[in-house]
Amino acid sequence: MVIAMATVSEFKFSEFVKSVLWLLFWVILIFSLIVLPIIFVILFYIPEPVINGVRINPYLLLTMLTNPQIGAPLIKATIESTFFKIAVFPGFTFAALFATVLIYAERKVLAKMQLRVGPYHAGREAFWWANSLGGFLQLIADLLKLLGKEIIVPAGADKPIFWAAPVVLVVAAAGLIALIPVAPNWVIADIDVGLLAVFALLGFFPLTTLLASYASNSKYPFIGGLRALYQLISYEIPLILSVLGVVILAGTLNLTGIVNAQNPYWFIILLPIGAVIFFITALAELERIPFDLPEAESEIVAGWLTEYSGMAYGLIQLANYIKMYALSALFVTLFLGGWMGPQIASSIEFFDVTIISAEEANGVTWFAIKTFGIALLMIMMRGINPRIKIDILLRTAWSKLIAIAFINVFIAVALLYLGVVPIAGGA
Amino acid sequence: MSSAQNLEVEKALADKVTARFGDKVRLSYVKPHRIRFDVSKDILLEFARFLRDELGFDHPISVAGVDYPKRNTIEVVYHIGSCSNEYRSVVFAFAVHLPRDNPTIPTLTPIYRGVEYHERETFEMLGVIFEGHPRLERLLLPEDWADIPPLLKDFHIKGREE
Amino acid sequence: MSIKHEDTNTSVPGFHMEGEDRGILTLSVGPQHPGSGHFRLIVKVDGDIIVEALPDPGYVHRGEEKMCEYRNYIQNIPHLERPMIADSCGILYPYVLAVEELINIQVPERAKYIRVIMAEINRCIFELYWLAIYGIFLGHSTMFMWPMADRELLIDLAEMASGARVTHAYFVPGGVRNDLPDNFVEKAVRHLKYFRSRLKEYKDIFYDNPLFQSRTIGVGVLRREDAINLGATGPVLRASGVEHDIRKVEPYDVYDELDFKVITMKEGDSYARAYVPWLEMFESVEIILQALEKMPNGPVRTKLGPNPKGGVAEVFKRVEAARGELAYYIVSDGNPKPYRVKLSVPSFRELPVMAHLLKGAKLADMPSIYWSMNYWPVEADR
Repeated sequence: MVIAMATVSEFKFSEFVKSVLWLLFWVILIFSLIVLPIIFVILFYIPEPVINGVRINPYLLLTMLTNPQIGAPLIKATIESTFFKIAVFPGFTFAALFATVLIYAERKVLAKMQLRVGPYHAGREAFWWANSLGGFLQLIADLLKLLGKEIIVPAGADKPIFWAAPVVLVVAAAGLIALIPVAPNWVIADIDVGLLAVFALLGFFPLTTLLASYASNSKYPFIGGLRALYQLISYEIPLILSVLGVVILAGTLNLTGIVNAQNPYWFIILLPIGAVIFFITALAELERIPFDLPEAESEIVAGWLTEYSGMAYGLIQLANYIKMYALSALFVTLFLGGWMGPQIASSIEFFDVTIISAEEANGVTWFAIKTFGIALLMIMMRGINPRIKIDILLRTAWSKLIAIAFINVFIAVALLYLGVVPIAGGA
Repeated sequence: MSSAQNLEVEKALADKVTARFGDKVRLSYVKPHRIRFDVSKDILLEFARFLRDELGFDHPISVAGVDYPKRNTIEVVYHIGSCSNEYRSVVFAFAVHLPRDNPTIPTLTPIYRGVEYHERETFEMLGVIFEGHPRLERLLLPEDWADIPPLLKDFHIKGREE
Repeated sequence: MSIKHEDTNTSVPGFHMEGEDRGILTLSVGPQHPGSGHFRLIVKVDGDIIVEALPDPGYVHRGEEKMCEYRNYIQNIPHLERPMIADSCGILYPYVLAVEELINIQVPERAKYIRVIMAEINRCIFELYWLAIYGIFLGHSTMFMWPMADRELLIDLAEMASGARVTHAYFVPGGVRNDLPDNFVEKAVRHLKYFRSRLKEYKDIFYDNPLFQSRTIGVGVLRREDAINLGATGPVLRASGVEHDIRKVEPYDVYDELDFKVITMKEGDSYARAYVPWLEMFESVEIILQALEKMPNGPVRTKLGPNPKGGVAEVFKRVEAARGELAYYIVSDGNPKPYRVKLSVPSFRELPVMAHLLKGAKLADMPSIYWSMNYWPVEADR
């Protein structure tokens, strides 16, 4: 049944003028009160790039639209600005895209291992030549679904903490991204004690998980939150100890310095035990199978994130996958030589101006390949294993892993003093 | 191990039982792989112990209650199998006849622990009281069952004709 | 979490503390729980140790035994299948054999072979389903997907023969309902050979997986004497070292002409109870292949008149279903409707075993002990 519109009114010129003026009023109001101050703030804080010795002005900007060759240095300057690094690459957008690819890869690889197909229908037409790549738009469909759902807050829940917990998780995960170098000059935050900052950020996760489960005021999140606390705290210690060997050999806590110290031998060749322990404890920090006790589905419904629905749940999953990317990237940086690799990529040029130099492009390519490989390894561990029991979990962390990590430290010290590895300079 | 043609093994077992208990038991039938005795209530525990220890029937299979309103009795039939002797294909059944208005019987849980839940079910389905049962409560019926025990012949399913 | 508490009420729903100062918590692993099925298990825990476990079945009780007295022997077949839909031939087999003995009719040879084949296919169907759920209880999603996929091979065969994927209603007193289609034998041989090769892969991913072994080896050890006295049956009994298989002890239909082994293991822990069914599936494939070869041609059904009835007699028949020994006790008084039908199902007999094993075990071991009992809630409730 279609509700018929009201009678079409006649055209009155006065009404038309009135509506145009009303529109104009609102445009001017918004422009002057909101848009102009934002532009002034941006122009105040972001340093204007210099092109050919002339500072940019709107005249130059408009000329660039017709003559792109003049605009090439501007693009280069933009790419090297901090804002671009944080927002796009290697910052948040790149991490989110990488997480998206990881989610798709996880669902597809897991499905292939389990004799099924995985996501198949969403976006299949674009890949008509390769049917097995169908379903790559499934994540967008899931995202739209999550956005459309109501976020139900349980009665008696602690509302500020309940709302803040997913956001804090995403922020902490994104903070990890800021520290990891992807190419020789491409770090958002080049801190001298970068590795310590990584561990400080990792310490956010047990606390936030416990707060999220406590704020939910329900039985299953309570049990799940306690289990998550036991697990995350127990496995932080072997994580830090396994990296101690790397720091001894590299001589510095700066992540770029650690990557540079892996010339010519990557640390995984010198310290394989440390690498294995780091991988296992990273799996435990990520709460992935075989360590997914806090979210054990068949025992305690969904663990500490039972009460989160809608976009809050989406944010928690986003934080999980960004953490997965961050810890894989950390593994690559510490043990697999970061961005180093034989030169396979060429520089990207735009009208005779090198925007990205050859070694930077090479570094980014190798970094992406290695990180993706480690993430695939994590995904395959999920397909093979059942869940571990809690007493075995804690016993392994406190006795076995710490002991093996100490052995790793002794090996590192031995390598240093036997002269196999030169004593690197630095802090 | 016993053949279908000659019932030697079953007859030998039945003879051992009658030799031991005399006229307190009555042989009901001897069929291929099946023996059935009717036992009186007062020697029930002794009979079960004899069955388990001397004859080697140690694997309880089921406990069934059958309601015979025409004879005014409720029969409780125990079926016991054997896992450890050479006539493992024989199932020994023994039945106790109880008066329908006061069906009480000592429990066999001290001898065969596996009949515990079977006896609970017979209690709630037929109203038979097992004396000495560790936990004689409702098992399968809902908590708010307010009718007579359902497997008695007096109980009719509503809406269906006999 | 041993907390001393005076009163019996807490504000957290689902918890219930007892009044004594022993700190015992009563948990209800209820019917609405992803890890329990339609069955409630009341566990009393002290810290992490289970002090007592009380099974509470009865959520799907339908009164099968009472319903049997209202229908005649043929009308009883569809509803007697329903307690065990995943192994429907197993729960119907002893009923059909008992009725045949009561009515005193002979079954043609071909029907006997077909019944053996369908019973073994159903055995594998149930064991695969059970392995899949075992995987999911322990958090192993690949072990959930693989048996479900391989189960389709066998369900296809069952569908070819009877027309339904589960609850075939294929066995009738006198034989089977209809003959097998023409291409059944070659398709079955092909499916079974592929199935056997898939079964071998389960060892690497599941049985040799150290995480699975750490959760099940040494957990819930059932001693031989306890197993027999408590009435355990099927793979649970055979995993404790008792070699008791009704197919060998009291062979029915043509099992005495087929050659297969009875699998036993001595340890009696959850690992053995999970390992024995896997080995039994290999034996089942062997039985089906032999039966397919030896099957003669001929009729598949002895036609009965309307309202078949026996004399005043009683019959007790037992069969080795997928979960263990299933027995029917039928009392007839000369009418077309039975006087009393009593089913003794293996799941119901595992209840005291479950209560005995859970006492003194850790709470984290509960899923692996509970599911290794081969418990099917609908069958136990009838």
